[in-house]
This record gives sequence, C-alpha cells and structure tokens, in this order.
Amino acid sequence: MANRVAIVGVGQTNHASNRKDVTQAEMINEAVRAALIDAGLKMKDVEAVFTSNMETFEGIYLPDHGASAELGMIGKPGFKVATGGTSGASVICEGFYMVSSGMFDITMVVGFEKQDSGDTTAAITAATTPVWGKGAVTGAIGEFAKQALSYMNSTGATEEHASLVRLKADRAACRNPHAHLRLGLSSTDEVMNSGYLVWPLKMLDFCPQSCGACAIILATGKKAKKITNKPVWLVDAETVHQEAFRAGTFGDPTGTETYTQHVACENLYKRNGITNPRKQIHLAELYEPSSWEEMNLYEHFHLAEPNQGWKLVEEGVTDIDGELPVNMSGGVLSTNPIGATPTIRVAEAALQIRGDAGDRQAHRDVDVALASALGGPNWTVLFLLKRFT
Amino acid sequence: MAEKKKKSEPEYIFVEFNTPRKYRWSTGPYVGKMYHEARMNKKLYANQCPKCKKMLWEPQVVCGRCKVETGWKWKELPQRGTVMQYTFIVYPMWDPHYGEKFANPLPNAMIEMDDGTVIRHFLEETDEKKLKEGMRVEAVWKENEEDRGEGTADIKFFRTIDK
Repeated sequence: MANRVAIVGVGQTNHASNRKDVTQAEMINEAVRAALIDAGLKMKDVEAVFTSNMETFEGIYLPDHGASAELGMIGKPGFKVATGGTSGASVICEGFYMVSSGMFDITMVVGFEKQDSGDTTAAITAATTPVWGKGAVTGAIGEFAKQALSYMNSTGATEEHASLVRLKADRAACRNPHAHLRLGLSSTDEVMNSGYLVWPLKMLDFCPQSCGACAIILATGKKAKKITNKPVWLVDAETVHQEAFRAGTFGDPTGTETYTQHVACENLYKRNGITNPRKQIHLAELYEPSSWEEMNLYEHFHLAEPNQGWKLVEEGVTDIDGELPVNMSGGVLSTNPIGATPTIRVAEAALQIRGDAGDRQAHRDVDVALASALGGPNWTVLFLLKRFT
Repeated sequence: MAEKKKKSEPEYIFVEFNTPRKYRWSTGPYVGKMYHEARMNKKLYANQCPKCKKMLWEPQVVCGRCKVETGWKWKELPQRGTVMQYTFIVYPMWDPHYGEKFANPLPNAMIEMDDGTVIRHFLEETDEKKLKEGMRVEAVWKENEEDRGEGTADIKFFRTIDK
C-alpha cells in the first residue's frame, strides 16, 4: 500500500527578467529557504533533494553541481531530472514517488532557471539536429503559432479571445507579488497591437523568459500532520510521454500530437473517480505557453466541451470570481523560469487550497485543484491536489 | 571612524565564444535509407509498422505505439499533399545552429501528403493573402545532386498546384 503524500511547504523567488544581483545557486537558495520557513522545517529534516532545470539553457552542462550547497543536498540522496518543459513537474513526480513508496518520509523538490544567462530559443531549437530543423528557427513559438491558426479555424475563436486570456493572466499577475510580468494591461487593444512574433502569435500572446526558482516539501500524511497545520494532499501524479515530433504540432488537427493529454487525463481521472471534471475540479493551474494554448487545454483536460474552450474565457468562468478559476498566479504567460514553471503551478494550486494565496485567492472555495505541465513534443504531466482531511 | 568599505556591485560575466561547433549526427540505417533515396532519386521513403500499418515519418526502428520492431518494409510517399497548418516568422530569430539572426521568408507548414503521412516543410508562396489551410502543394527538389544530402532539406519548398 503506497503512502499518501502531502505538500507541507512551498517557497518561490520573486521572478524577474534579470537577476544580476545573484548567482543561479543563490537564487535557488532563496526558494529553498522560503519553503523551509513555510514548512517550519530545517534542512536536516529533509531526507532527499531532487532538482530540475533545462540543461544548456544557461550555457553550462550540469548546472546543479554548482548549487548543491545552496540546495541543501550535500551528504543526502538526490539528483536532477531534465525532461524539457516538464522538468519542474517531473521533479515533483520524483519526490512524490519516493515518499509514496516509503523510501523517504520527507523530500524536497526544487525547480530553477536563470534565463538572463543565455538564449532559450537557441537551446530549444537544439532539441533537433540542424538538418531536421534547418531554417525553421522558431523554437516553441512556431509550433504554438500553427496551433493558434488551427484553433481559430476549427473553433471560431478569434484573436480577441486570445487577448482576453492574456488580459486575465495580467490581472492575476498584478495580484501576485511573485509574478514576473505585471503589465497593468487595461484593454484587449494593447494585446492586439503588441506586434506579431510568428503569425498569428503576438508578442503578448507568448510567455516571457524569466529567472526564478520554486521549492516544494513533500511528506507522508502521518508526518505532515506533525509538521504543519495546513498540509495539502498531493493525491496523484500522472506523466505521459510520446514520440518525438514526427510531424505535427500542439494543435494538430489529426489529434496525433495531443495523445498525451488524453491519456494523462484518462488515467488520472479514472484512478480518482473524476467523471465530471468541470464540477469536481474547483481550480486549475495550467501550463499555457501561449494564450491560445490555455483555451486548447480547457478542452483537452475536459474542462470544456470540444471547440468551446474560448467560451469559458468569454463568459468569465475561469476568472477569479468564476466557477472554475484558472491560473490565478498569472500563469506561464506572466512568469516562465522554465525549470521551475511547472513547480510553480503545483505550489500555487496548493496555496489556493490552503487559502494562503493573498490577493490572488480565488473567490470560490477550493478543495480540489488540477495542475499541469507541458514540454518536449507535447509531453504531459498532471497533478491532482486536495484539501487535507 | 574607519571609512566603510564600498560594497562591490554585482556584474554579469560576459564570454564570447567563437569556436566552430563540430558535431556529427549518425543517421542509422532507417534515416540513412531515407537520406539516400532523397539524394539519389529525389524520392521520399518511409517505413511501415507491420502491426498498425502506419507509415513512420521519419523512418524508425520501432513503432512507439505498437511497441514492435518495424522491419524493413518501405513505401515511397507521394510528392503532393495538402497544407494542414502554416505560420510565418515576423520577428527575426536567432538561429543557434548557423549562428545568424534571420527571418526565413518562407512560411513553415505541416503538409498532409496524399497517403496521409504528415511532413514539416516550407511553402514557396509568401503572399499572406494566398496562404490558406487546405491549399494543394507539390515538392520542388534541389536540382543538383551535389546540393542534396540533407534529407527533407533536399526539397527546396512546396509549390502551390491546382489540384
């Protein structure tokens, strides 16, 4: 019988475009300290430390070796995981599996990225050989651009709907002191006039490059009760991979490339008795690299009917006072330290269940939350969180 | 009272690399066969999963979904197809492989070939008003054999056709 796993502490940096004031290791340490303070633990209480980061984004191989002291992992079991965009979620899976298996009672997982060091799109494009990728040179942006076009043509959504998603993200980010981009946007015109990057994606339709770190401390249910009076159940985790992009994109009309989202949902929902996700899930923190992807994900995770995702935004269902608030942190559109981006999704979902999200706290009661991650050729990781009982 | 020592300011350390990168990626037999056919015969070849019968593009040793070895059954792909998705770069981007910043003038597209295989390539048509999902296109190859040898990059682009 697997142990139930609880989140007993979360900590994150104030994310920013540039962090000249600290080294990567010092930045990581900020999140590690914040999580320990949140849990009321000392580093000696943590039995194992797992980390995640996008290798080569900072131009160095093995970035964790320079931060083992700041990660508190010297003399302890632990290692780094790198699975592309999902890294910060894979690391939570690691910590979760380890506690669940009974191997450790308390683990810490830390995602980090310091993107002021180098060129992210350059690193992403290097996921394929030059011959396969020759001249495409769009990294992730071109893939999400093609998806946006497909979504527009197949659902009737317009560029204004994407702008509404962006505005919602910005309103949320402005309530979140940790968020990177807090632009104070007041109208869809500002998004519509932000200029095309890769048509039809505009500058403000796509996520930024951020510096930041996020740490989460996981414990068995038994330990959790002794550690804190506000643990949150990390009920389940599901991670699904697929082949490299043969041909196809995030919005592939053939459905081939959205396979992992379907499989991850089917497995997670089935194991946890979720038959009506829209009602049974109260809040979501989704990994939306583009404003269009958020509308796609509503549909892929069965939070909206097929081709109806954009209506949730139009009707305000996913806003702070809606029935299913999504990305009350400001989401990936506002903050994107890639190796930490999925870790932040889970940390923010936990804060919402605890009622500790401050100004960004959803107005409705949140007992059950979904957090997602996306990376590589549309790999998917999903987490289900619940109020501790 | 001793003067307080001025705290040094944090800085970025900037290093410029100008060493050419020397990487060699092996094709293996499957992608190698595809490269060979493109170079020698201006043809696109894919292999087929013996179980689900799906054409595997790029060619590969196993079918990931069926989890079986594919064997050596090859089929030539048609050279005509239909544009499924497209986009074009507006803001120039950095190309890490070739060390230059540029906006490729050719739209990037997902093309569903007439047998259902989907491949990623470029379109000759650059007039935004003429681009649309569902447009019919045909492969245009690099003429000289010595210019070929880069797999699908041996195709210059896909040209719009009537049917």
